[in-house]
Amino acid sequence: MTIQMQLVRVLAVSLPLLAISAATADELFNTNEAELIEVLKTGQPAEKAIACKKLAVFGTKDSVSLLAPLLEDEQLASWARIALEAIDDSAADAALRDSLAKTKGNLSIGSINSLGVRGDDAAVPLMAEALATGIKSNDAELVDAAAWALGQTGGEQAIGALRSAIKNEKGAVRNAAALGLVLAAEDLLAAGKADEAATLYDEARAADVPKQRKLEATRGAILARGDAGIPLLVEQLRSDDKKFLQLGLGTARELAGAKVAETLVKELETAPADRAALLIYALADRRDAVEAPAILAAAVSDDDSMQLAAIRLLARADDASHVDALLQTAADDNADVALAAATALAEMPGDRVNGHLVELVPTAKGKKLAILLNLVGKRRIDAIDALTSSLNDADAGVRHAALAALGATVSAEQLPLLVKQCLTAHDPSDAAVAWRALKAASVRMPDRDACAAELAKAIANASPAAQAQIVDILGAVGGGNALQAMGNAMNDGEDQVLDAGTRALGNWMEVDAAPLLLDLAKNAKGEKYQVRALRSYIRLARQFKMSEAERAEMCAAALEAAQRDDERELVFAVLERYPNAESLRVAKAAAKQPKLRERAARVAEAIEHGSPGN
Amino acid sequence: MSSAKTTLHRRRFLKTALSVGVAAVAAPTIIPSSALGRDGAVAPSERITVGGIGIGNRGTYDLGCFLEQPDVQFLAVADVKQARRDAVKKIADEHHGNQDCDTYRDFRELLGRDDIDAVLIATGPNWHATAAMYAARAGKDMYCEKPCTKNIAQSLNLVDTMRRTGRVFQVGTQRRNLPHFAFACELARTGKLGKLKRVYAHPAGMSALMSGWLPAESTPDPKVVDWNMYLGPASWRPYNEKLLDGFNFEKGGGLVGGGVLEWGSHCVDLCQWAVDADGQAPVEYDPPANKQIVARYANGVELIFREEGWMPLGSCPVRFEGETGWVETGDSGKLVLSSPELLAGREVAEIGGYPATFHVRDFLDCVKTRSQPKGNAEAACFAHIACHATNIALALNRSLKYDLAKHEFVGDEQANRLRSEALREPWQI
Repeated sequence: MTIQMQLVRVLAVSLPLLAISAATADELFNTNEAELIEVLKTGQPAEKAIACKKLAVFGTKDSVSLLAPLLEDEQLASWARIALEAIDDSAADAALRDSLAKTKGNLSIGSINSLGVRGDDAAVPLMAEALATGIKSNDAELVDAAAWALGQTGGEQAIGALRSAIKNEKGAVRNAAALGLVLAAEDLLAAGKADEAATLYDEARAADVPKQRKLEATRGAILARGDAGIPLLVEQLRSDDKKFLQLGLGTARELAGAKVAETLVKELETAPADRAALLIYALADRRDAVEAPAILAAAVSDDDSMQLAAIRLLARADDASHVDALLQTAADDNADVALAAATALAEMPGDRVNGHLVELVPTAKGKKLAILLNLVGKRRIDAIDALTSSLNDADAGVRHAALAALGATVSAEQLPLLVKQCLTAHDPSDAAVAWRALKAASVRMPDRDACAAELAKAIANASPAAQAQIVDILGAVGGGNALQAMGNAMNDGEDQVLDAGTRALGNWMEVDAAPLLLDLAKNAKGEKYQVRALRSYIRLARQFKMSEAERAEMCAAALEAAQRDDERELVFAVLERYPNAESLRVAKAAAKQPKLRERAARVAEAIEHGSPGN
Repeated sequence: MSSAKTTLHRRRFLKTALSVGVAAVAAPTIIPSSALGRDGAVAPSERITVGGIGIGNRGTYDLGCFLEQPDVQFLAVADVKQARRDAVKKIADEHHGNQDCDTYRDFRELLGRDDIDAVLIATGPNWHATAAMYAARAGKDMYCEKPCTKNIAQSLNLVDTMRRTGRVFQVGTQRRNLPHFAFACELARTGKLGKLKRVYAHPAGMSALMSGWLPAESTPDPKVVDWNMYLGPASWRPYNEKLLDGFNFEKGGGLVGGGVLEWGSHCVDLCQWAVDADGQAPVEYDPPANKQIVARYANGVELIFREEGWMPLGSCPVRFEGETGWVETGDSGKLVLSSPELLAGREVAEIGGYPATFHVRDFLDCVKTRSQPKGNAEAACFAHIACHATNIALALNRSLKYDLAKHEFVGDEQANRLRSEALREPWQI
């Protein structure tokens, strides 16, 4: 292949990539270094740019001599560095180092950055020189880049340059040097050289540098020392400066060791309420076991921030004393605090919690009993006797809690108990809760057909309003039995049963509702319900997985049943959404009907030729 | 050269991995009444002052979520586009009833203000990681939109930087704070589905994308659109209005990212949570086959990207399958379960439309308590690594193995070279 022929091939690969475009793997990387080198030699800037990007994958030392001159090109320098940063050869480092003598300003900074990314030890003298140049010329960006690269690279010489710079009279220089020192210290700490790291952190901390640099250095100084860093941690936790307090709270979560938790608990003794709450949050985020009367006291204190923090901590362990404190808090007048405690109780791990809660039920009354019964439900504790004995409690809150808990816990065999509560409730508010409970119980029954059969039995003697409720529940239960029971009920039912049934079928999650919906679309009493049923039928065709033939058949049936253009349009949208031979057949058949001819023809056209049909 | 280029600068990251885990129990999502003044307003000392960086369409939505929080005071906006600076100032000033929202073209001026606690970063993806690192160095906590990194190296750098600087970071994966997604992930994570076998994520397309260089057009006045700042860390190219769509410009490294990163930073993030893999990522990645991409975690769980076969549950669907059960959910807020028993008496609120309000509240609470928010840097890091690694397998069209200890692809230098990419001068992270 001649060079010219190669170039034509390269351009054919490159040009589509000059814009933002989707590309297959072959389009992106079907090339090689030789082709890309040719582009660097002869291509236009745009082509060279993309070639550089690909050389990040394909480049070797053979590309470096052509990439190096681009480091002096303001438009292409960073493209070239994309390749040079990636090429695993010392020639790339050398090219970047050499460029420093030929560039200035941002171009020089770019090369320094790349040397820092590569951690080029041989470049440290040049980085230090750049730092000195930046200081002398008041070039803050050059100082930042050089100090960052020195910190990234590390080593004795780099650290020496940074140590010198952190004593500079200029604040911006000290700031940059502190950042570099902290970066170098982080590497030392990661390498297990904690003492050396601590020394560097301390130097940065002691210097006259911006607060954020001091914060970073302080964090490092604590972590590098382990337990010996706790006094410094405490200093932050007691700080009047919000930023240092925050730093202490964050570091208290990072520092490992049991002594940290002990320290936090001890600090609670003297901390003001707002700070104590923050300390408790830090304790809660640690995994240490904490046994502290102060936490229990915080949960029932008058300070809601303390209460919320304590709730979070107490919820971690299934200790009876924690349960008692949280129960007390769950009855708090502050609704937010009470809800947080109740939620925590509901989600606490451990069977011991369940046993303790059940033990408390017989002696509880009023609000506390309602809380306990709610928890029985939310934790799904098998305590049917306790619940049924509370169904006639004088306190509506207790009755409602018991009903809701029954909804969460009854077995299939116990479902009639809940049905009875629904059908016989005298208090309207009890009835409303009972229906919700029955629905909650029904939808979680493992054998939905058996559940539906049980519900269907109740329809026969129920009032129209109760029938509507049961039909709604059947819709949520799903399955063949439920569908059949709903169909029967709607066939014989009053208006409100039809209303509930057609609404429920609108959310049906299986295609098996299609025959019933089509029947309702044609024969339901009332146009409103026919239209609703037809739309639900079309929804199944639009959204659910089925064969092309089945979908086409449904569309054809829907077109036949539709009395209005609105529903016909929905069918056409389905056909357009699934363009295939079966859809085309339906569209063409529809186009033979005079009233559908024009629209159906457009749909057929769209399916055949892929153009928008409307 | 100090080390082979196949080694990322990851030493700090590996050694400083948190010894203390994130709390299992959710942070409070309320403002204690003790923080409120007599008129119900939040006392000035309890307010969180916020600045915005790059506030376009998505950012304006996020801004609304911030402004509806009573303890937020929005002080300033930085944007390369004058129209956006003006629009955001109008929104903030009208909300606060003053004229105090300051505007900047260069976000570094905003970061230089001592009176700003936190920033909302909603630039295009090109800027996310770089702006986040600068914000961290300036001592700001941040809520950063996704995808928040362009490559694997940036992902590792992100978590490293947030720890080193002690910052609270929340990526805009708001579904972590929506009850139906959280419940679905909990079912998978806590073994309620039996031994977990497969988790499914929905990509928005399975093509690799690359940003390029369009024909030059007349460069606008920098006061109106600052093209140099718009490019920022992305390599230079002439101005072309089509590239001003920040949403699609330079999403990720050598590859723009494509749909795997765009949706993956949501869906994969949820899968990661379901697998309890916030500190890890899949270790094997296959190229596309049968309209799917399959990746595998070390424990054998498969992460499957697929565009088809989803239930009609809205956008961003996920599905988790175990040996005894499965759950599927999406942005409709609805859950579909293999067995209703999985609800176990729980009432899961159905919140459709993926609002970010709860996620923003989670972030603000953590700014105060210094806890880790749901979309913290480590969670974001590994979810993004999973997406980037998938994209690399997609681009190279071959199977890859990823060593989580070394953060490198095993025996594949080309793949390793795609883990990072040089930034345009003078930017560095």
